[in-house]
Amino acid sequence: MPAADTGAVSTAQHPMNATVLVVEDEVLIRVAACDELRARGYVVIEAVSADEALSVLRSPVQVNLVLTDLKMPGAMDGAALVKLIRAEFPFLKVIMVSGQAPDPAIRALLDGYFPKPVAPSEIASFLQQLTSARVTKSDDRERGSLAS
Amino acid sequence: MHPKQVILVVEDEILIRMVVAEYLRDCGYRVIEAASADEAMVILQHLEIDVEVILSDVEMPGFMDGFQLSQWLSANRPGIDVILTGSVSRASEAAAELCDSGPIPKPYEPKLAADRIKQLMALRAARRKKQG
Repeated sequence: MPAADTGAVSTAQHPMNATVLVVEDEVLIRVAACDELRARGYVVIEAVSADEALSVLRSPVQVNLVLTDLKMPGAMDGAALVKLIRAEFPFLKVIMVSGQAPDPAIRALLDGYFPKPVAPSEIASFLQQLTSARVTKSDDRERGSLAS
Repeated sequence: MHPKQVILVVEDEILIRMVVAEYLRDCGYRVIEAASADEAMVILQHLEIDVEVILSDVEMPGFMDGFQLSQWLSANRPGIDVILTGSVSRASEAAAELCDSGPIPKPYEPKLAADRIKQLMALRAARRKKQG
């Protein structure tokens, strides 16, 4: 029984309960991005480091998309996380958001890349496109553009 | 349309934080997640969000633990209620001093936290009504 049901309903289209794992160590950026994604109907899991993200990915929880920062504290940064995801979870879609552009080798592994700063709504719109469209060319991945 | 009541969950163990936060969202609350007391402080100081209850682990890495966070809240944000979770002895010590009710010992079912929050919300509502 909901304890605090307020009847608030999002008018955004529900993206079929897709689960997004957001990996971001800057708390205010993470909260803003996660709020936006939840408002659009995504189930969102928040990780503050690549290590936390791996704990989630290796748990029974099913994740559909990973949105990760590049520079993060801990044993692994975003680039190492992307490589690991491609090796262990090849079907996961991975989008990077970073102030510093990733190496071309890493970028080639991504389904999308957004330079910071970026509006959470821009990322959310891209994820909605990504869940319903296929990215076909790596050259089209920067700043979330999708191949037609 | 009323805004959702806001809970801040402060927990450094991702698999616990994830499950508890999602359970509380399913109960209809707006839940903000912090992985440390330091993150909780940043949220409280920078976001204009009316947090009503904080569910915080006692033992966490970083500049502050849950006990110190409770002390800061008691001095600076007395309108926010705190529920502590964690090892019984340490949490009991902290809770006796800073909280109305006892701590939630780990491991715990998310429903237990939700029930405790619901009770606190009812108390807060009664308090508000009394104050007019």
